[in-house]
Amino acid sequence: MEQATNNEILKIEKLKKYFHIGKGKKGPIYVHAVDGITLNIKHGETLGLVGESGSGKSTIAYTVVGMYRPTSGQIMFKGKNIGIEASKRSLSSKKEIQIVFQDPGSSLNPRQTIEQILALPFRIHTQMPKRQFREKMVELLEKVELSPDYLYKSPPSIGGGEKQMVAIARAMAPNPSLIILDEPTSALDVSVQAKIINKLIDLQKEMNLTYLFITHDLSLMRNVANRISIMYLGKICEVAESVTFFEKPLHPYTQMLISSVPVITEEEENLKPQKVISIGEIPSPVNIPTGCSFHLRCPYKIPICSKVDPEMIEFSPGHIVRCHLFAKLETKKE
Amino acid sequence: MRNSNQYNNSITISLERPKSIFRLNLGKNWFKFSRNTLSTIGLVIVVVIIVSAILAPWITPYPEHAGPFVDFDNTGQSPSLQHLCGTDNIGRDIFSRIIFAFRGALIMAVLVLAIAVPPGVLLGLIAGYLQNTWIDTVIMRITDIFLSVPPLILALAIAAMLKPTLMNAMIAVTVMWWPWYTRLVYGMASSVRNEYFVIAADLMGAGKFHILFREILPNCLSPVFTKMALDVGWVILIGASLSFVGLGEQPPIPALGQMVSDGARYMPTFWWMTIFPALAIVLTILGFNLMGDGIRDMLETGVE
Amino acid sequence: MKTEENILLNIKDLHVWYRVYGGYLKVLNGVHLMVREGERVGLVGEAGCGKTTTMKSILQILPPGDFHIPRGQIFYKGQDVLKMNFKEIQSLRSREIAMIFQDPTTALNPVFTIGSQIGAVIKYSATFEESVHKEKIKTQSIKALKEVYLPDPERMCINYPFQLSGGMRQRVCIAMAISSPRNLLIADEPGTSLDVTIQDQIHRLLNELVEKRNTAIILITHSLGVAREMTDRIYVMYAGTIVETTTPEVLFKNPVHPYTKGLLASVPKISGGGIAKGIPGKLPSYLNPPSGCRFRLRCEQESPICLEEPPQLFEIEKDHLVACYLTQR
Repeated sequence: MEQATNNEILKIEKLKKYFHIGKGKKGPIYVHAVDGITLNIKHGETLGLVGESGSGKSTIAYTVVGMYRPTSGQIMFKGKNIGIEASKRSLSSKKEIQIVFQDPGSSLNPRQTIEQILALPFRIHTQMPKRQFREKMVELLEKVELSPDYLYKSPPSIGGGEKQMVAIARAMAPNPSLIILDEPTSALDVSVQAKIINKLIDLQKEMNLTYLFITHDLSLMRNVANRISIMYLGKICEVAESVTFFEKPLHPYTQMLISSVPVITEEEENLKPQKVISIGEIPSPVNIPTGCSFHLRCPYKIPICSKVDPEMIEFSPGHIVRCHLFAKLETKKE
Repeated sequence: MRNSNQYNNSITISLERPKSIFRLNLGKNWFKFSRNTLSTIGLVIVVVIIVSAILAPWITPYPEHAGPFVDFDNTGQSPSLQHLCGTDNIGRDIFSRIIFAFRGALIMAVLVLAIAVPPGVLLGLIAGYLQNTWIDTVIMRITDIFLSVPPLILALAIAAMLKPTLMNAMIAVTVMWWPWYTRLVYGMASSVRNEYFVIAADLMGAGKFHILFREILPNCLSPVFTKMALDVGWVILIGASLSFVGLGEQPPIPALGQMVSDGARYMPTFWWMTIFPALAIVLTILGFNLMGDGIRDMLETGVE
Repeated sequence: MKTEENILLNIKDLHVWYRVYGGYLKVLNGVHLMVREGERVGLVGEAGCGKTTTMKSILQILPPGDFHIPRGQIFYKGQDVLKMNFKEIQSLRSREIAMIFQDPTTALNPVFTIGSQIGAVIKYSATFEESVHKEKIKTQSIKALKEVYLPDPERMCINYPFQLSGGMRQRVCIAMAISSPRNLLIADEPGTSLDVTIQDQIHRLLNELVEKRNTAIILITHSLGVAREMTDRIYVMYAGTIVETTTPEVLFKNPVHPYTKGLLASVPKISGGGIAKGIPGKLPSYLNPPSGCRFRLRCEQESPICLEEPPQLFEIEKDHLVACYLTQR
């Protein structure tokens, strides 16, 4: 399952990221934002990462891109270890991995023009002389369907969808291999979202990109991702191909989330698993329950769930799940 | 909206830079400013003061009274049409002297701010960016020390150590003025540096210089400009306080505080000798303060 | 059409303009909206289409001095809100209509306890005659907090907003809105800034409360799925006009207006199949809005008549109104 193939552009192994938030009676208190993640992304695919807030999905993104340093574990990009902060990384690593943030309003400097914003990646990552920048920028803007006069505008005067297009253009500027999209359309309307998602898919084919796509919107995920992994409290619960994920969700948490997706057609209603209503607040990543972190909300729990944390099991090729209910199945198979 | 084939190599020639490229946006900014009537009044006051100070030799009725001039026949004249604010104890026209006094005051204010603000801003920027490091601590604690000394006393002490000239008064005021800007920019810089666009620039590989001066600083400057507008008034007040006790412009060059102090001993009979210079000080500060509100409204970035 | 008697809110041809540099932003261009007693109405539309402006007009909380209402009426229980004096509007705000804002963090005052904030709402909702005792305020506050399923309401009353999570704050805002009996709730995208499962819980909570008390609610959302599940009638808004309104069943099965159709096509489906290309173009400028139908620049079926007058809402079948010339044959 974890053989290194040439096809894998990003390999995350047993990644942990804890944040120190103070001292308790028994010693220092940590937030277990990411608690042992193993994940691979294949070249050219879109891997979807789904979960509630506090699940750790953004933390993974930020650690991969270099905003945080891993507490333990490895991140290998194209065979090179990049488990260090951005400031210590080589320029080429910074070029290859780009990120698009959720809020377009705060990811673009309101006191700069689009021209200045786009000039930065060209200046740092290419040897082009300054006179050629303008031409390249117009090309880039064209790719995201913005007219050249946007160069002279500044972020506060353009709409959210257009700002996000600029953020995407900025991410594409240095010609990266991997782009991490952290909820790129969550702050936008459905029609703007459609435009941006379609553009992202087109650009992926055109520029041979790999995407790590993070969102909480399962319906969006279904249409964007090739494979989907779902996270809960810092651990992965299930990984599967997109279609399988929705047709045969195994993990109770997956079923719970899919069953509560708001849909707009009868057809979709019939596809949803039976309604499982989530009880209570999301537990905080500071007080993680013993055993399986999900057992307090799980309708199918068995005695072992409160004592032992389950292992990741390959239920069928490419379909991985971390749940005691299926561990028994696998041992039964043998 | 696809225009893909419209653009070829003549792009750089055919694109027109919009007129507002220098971001002055005068029309829009005036709209934002003038929403508030009070700040427009403040602006009017300020403009009147500045213009009259610049044109002093040509518009005052008695420009020579601002120099060595004596007219013992006309001392202590009460306000009249010939002498709008009356005359002082040596017969000089107070109105003209006030206008000339504005000159010194404004020059001092401009110079003090021009010298004090850049280092103050720079220190605040660096300290805010390097928050929680020893550099931050050193810079901010030094700032705190300067801020803990009552400003007037510090200025008095320095001005008293050196000779009592305008230049030295300026030095005194400058030395105690920069810390306010450091603190102001420190607060802004330390929060701006956590904004996503700064992180994005860092992740893109931008160097420290770019991040400090192209990403963070432009977002810290609005309150700085607003404060500068207000500070002109306050520097003038401090300058007047210094000249009140004799540390500043030396006679016969007129200075507002000095005129107030000279006239004080003739109160209440010859009230105009003190009251008019004092009113001039009040009006100046009022004008700059009101205008400062408008400047703040103008500089706010919102959704346009 | 149902009888006139149980109509609670009736917005007729509302036009609202904002004063800005360069003229007026003519945001609302003839909004028609009706809410009956106990009805759950959904208002759907993209950001900037004027949903919040409409709601703020109802409660007269538009930024003072900067707006202008050239035309239109807002009838609440038969009385025109736009002509009400201050006392009547205060009564409206404190006893009839409650609004739940989008961002619970800024809707709560950070320096007052939860208890005092809910207490203030209860206090001001009492009529002059029945001034409310401190004890009664306290019991009513705790009751409201219980109804929104907040744990340990007594402790909650002495907490400050910063001690609560986003979901809890939103519940407190809802508790404030239902702490005294109201006839109409306006929920402006509740929980948008929060996690989607929490959003789901908030929507369910609102639904339950509204059904229990037979309160009418205007739910503003840009999630069509939520609108489908939790409303009796949906109004689709575009650029300051209502373009289509009908029941959710009919709307999702048989959308008529090109904008509605485009919107529904853009929603990703869990059955897969990719996402439609969205609707080309963007919201028109409110400073110089296009003449006639405001959607025409983005409409594939534009025809000459669309340039002249903005289309009025027209009943194309029972209880299904559309504002489009091309459907009014």
